Amino acid sequence: MSPPRPTPGAPVAARIPARDDRHLANGMRATFVRVGAVPLAAVRLVIRTGSADVAAGQGWLDRFAHDYLREGTEGSDAVAFADALAAIGGRLAIDADEHTTVLHTEVLAEHAPRAITLLAEVARHPRFPDGEAPRLRADLRRSLDLALAQPQYLAFAAFRAALYPGHPYGRVVPDPAAFDAFDAAVTRAYWAAQSGAQRALLLVGGMFDAEPAARAWRAAFEDWAPGAPPAEHRPTPASGRTVRLVDRPGAEQSTVYVGRVVPDPTQPDYVPLEVANFLLAGSFHSRITMNIREAKGYTYSPRGLLSSRPHDAHWVEVADVTTEVTGAAIGEVFHEIERLRGEAPSAEELLGIQNYASGSFVIRQATPGGILDHLEFLDLHGLDEGYSAAYVDRVRAVTPGDVRRIAEQYLGTEAMTIAIAGDRARVDEQVAAFGTPSG
Amino acid sequence: MTTRGGAFGLELPVERHLLANGLRVVLSADHAAPIVCVAVYYHVGMRLEPRGRTGFAHLFEHLMFQGSPSLGKMEFARLVQENGGSLNGSTRFDFTNYFETMPSHTLDLALWMEADRMRGPVITQAELDNQRDVVKNEIRVNVLNRPYGSFPWIDMQAAAFTNWHNSHNGYGDMADLDAASLADVEAFFRTYYSPANAVLVLVGDFEAATALGLVRRYFEEIPAAPRPAAPAIDEPRQEQERRASHADLLANRPAIAVSYHTPERGSREYYALGLLDEVLLQGEDSLLHQELVSRRGFAADVDGGINFLGHMHNAQTPLLWTAELIHDSSVAVEAILEAFDAVIERVRIEPLAQPVLDRALVKARAALYGAINDTTYPGAGRADLLAAFELFEDDAAQVNTIEQRFAAVTPELVMETAREYLRAANRTVLTVVPGAASGAGLGAVPGAMG
Repeated sequence: MSPPRPTPGAPVAARIPARDDRHLANGMRATFVRVGAVPLAAVRLVIRTGSADVAAGQGWLDRFAHDYLREGTEGSDAVAFADALAAIGGRLAIDADEHTTVLHTEVLAEHAPRAITLLAEVARHPRFPDGEAPRLRADLRRSLDLALAQPQYLAFAAFRAALYPGHPYGRVVPDPAAFDAFDAAVTRAYWAAQSGAQRALLLVGGMFDAEPAARAWRAAFEDWAPGAPPAEHRPTPASGRTVRLVDRPGAEQSTVYVGRVVPDPTQPDYVPLEVANFLLAGSFHSRITMNIREAKGYTYSPRGLLSSRPHDAHWVEVADVTTEVTGAAIGEVFHEIERLRGEAPSAEELLGIQNYASGSFVIRQATPGGILDHLEFLDLHGLDEGYSAAYVDRVRAVTPGDVRRIAEQYLGTEAMTIAIAGDRARVDEQVAAFGTPSG
Repeated sequence: MTTRGGAFGLELPVERHLLANGLRVVLSADHAAPIVCVAVYYHVGMRLEPRGRTGFAHLFEHLMFQGSPSLGKMEFARLVQENGGSLNGSTRFDFTNYFETMPSHTLDLALWMEADRMRGPVITQAELDNQRDVVKNEIRVNVLNRPYGSFPWIDMQAAAFTNWHNSHNGYGDMADLDAASLADVEAFFRTYYSPANAVLVLVGDFEAATALGLVRRYFEEIPAAPRPAAPAIDEPRQEQERRASHADLLANRPAIAVSYHTPERGSREYYALGLLDEVLLQGEDSLLHQELVSRRGFAADVDGGINFLGHMHNAQTPLLWTAELIHDSSVAVEAILEAFDAVIERVRIEPLAQPVLDRALVKARAALYGAINDTTYPGAGRADLLAAFELFEDDAAQVNTIEQRFAAVTPELVMETAREYLRAANRTVLTVVPGAASGAGLGAVPGAMG
């Protein structure tokens, strides 16, 4: 027999590591956070430009530029640059989304200043050697081909196209014919127009010393021109039910996206929405996961999430479900949403979710990766440290009635966009009840 | 963690205990944040499962979330979450692990829950059927409905290994999954999930004496059972190169992977191969990247490493060291292999320059620290290394010798290791024949082009 279940005592006060914010006269900013227990430093150079800044008809020019940035700096060719970064334990990674391009690396902690200097060289003085352009264009074509073979990419693209018609957020798949024009000159002009000190934020997290890192930052960036301010790209999202189907004949599963636009992180209802999502779809023990995975076995990894950009956010449930139950799975997702819209959760169920939301927030603040992700989120949405300080209290203030109201107000299924990559012959009829599929 | 001699070095606190029922306990305190990671590792994984029961180690992992003597279906997950924690489990070649990162004041509860689960799954036929469906959907999303889904890990192991334990598909044949019964679940539990076949690791903000008291309170009374005999997983020395090909109907470009059998875990040569991996394959400064990607333009990237389901420190041997890339149909496999061989030959005929080896050592240390630095489940990366060394080298504290083992590698040892292990006769070449048309998906998504 097991001994009786213990009841946890009083929680230890959460410790959010202190952030050290600094500014330069040219508009560049930096935040240093000493955190963690591993002698590494995570260094991220966040530049406010992304796929939304690429002109229509030039899709993936941003990706091409990221690949080209890896081809060395004015002072070092690609091999010498890679050697220099590797010698301190690092490798260059470039991640980007609609509004942000992040040049980042992890290095042995004592080498954080050197990593800052090297990232500055990439961003400020990229080499863009002419001779590499044909190879990088071939890589880009291959990458697109590989992406188009992935059901998750197809469903994502169809979802975005339906949700943000005519807007950069909806133009996911590029036209490969346009790749022919991508070369060093085009890339150099693009990067010069899109980068600059007032669009840049350096984030460093880990077990490093702040002063040498700050000195390296100042020396590397203080004479960088401010550059043009970032453009705004407010979308006009679709409203009302849309159903899109990308045909994958013979597919064993349907990749399903179901979602709609919701308030963005600057709005008072965003934190209650996060809590509602954890309860409905965004955690292992959430209602939709308990239903379509744990009761029905329709899918392995269903997940609900909030995806945000400046002045824009959407909620979406994503799941790869057995083809035969595509319609049934969407029906259960809608059933769980409507159930929450009709009836507030119990205080007990909500309290468990609130503890999960606040607990995972605090736990993520214990690691360099988690805290730098959070700082990027704050910066993207123009939020300050007050948001972090108040977060746990805001989570705890959410009531059962709030959760029902949030679902009622923002998650009505009548306006959900549905996108599916699956076998049309077997799926069409199943989803007819939700609308006529196009595409 | 402390600094040593002016340079950083790994010096994790390690306290080891053995309970009367054979459970090995490893404590590693870390007071940087008020959190704790509790991890239980059972010494059974995809290649240690019995014949006729392919995929059972993995299916069983799912069942461990379905109920135990004091907890109903998914109550384990609910309790972790409502106490502010996050959890997961995974099935690898040589272990199955379960872990949760929790606020430190809930350590008592987390230990109670894992002890309850160690007493065995208490599940119904409906719960077994449900998780069988979930596992089948996991296989579909990761393998059957995914281009390159079995490449290279499932296909390469089938081609490169001759011992059934190493070569069979650990995700399981659907027929074996269909045949799994509640009686099988009970038998599997009795055989493989005894305390003597497990390691419990605690990482985080606790006082060791207090934590050990809680561990004894909850785990010591779990009945002892014999540790199962370890199956023989050894492979004969390979004397001739093997070739294999896999037709992938969802893939639209050909791919190639080359795998070599590694030296034995813990040997000097194993660490030499770890540094060769850094020199040859890891990062844009690596020789294979420079030749195959930068100079020849065969691919946008060349990937790979040691251990398809982890890294060189968290598996037993035999393992494979693998390099892989996806290329265009216009490039012949033989052209890629010729360029590949020229790179491999360089490290076989002359010793590495010391600066190149020094750089590899720094990269290996950074990779080790990165493995410890788990962002999603803080503490789980450290627990993983400690558990692996306790399971595979009988001493978790050996984690603190990894850097010295790398540092002891000389240019001559690297060359000798390359000569013996990077022989063509010691390798398998696997190619993917694409069955989907290139560019077929283009235009399939209306309104998405831009």
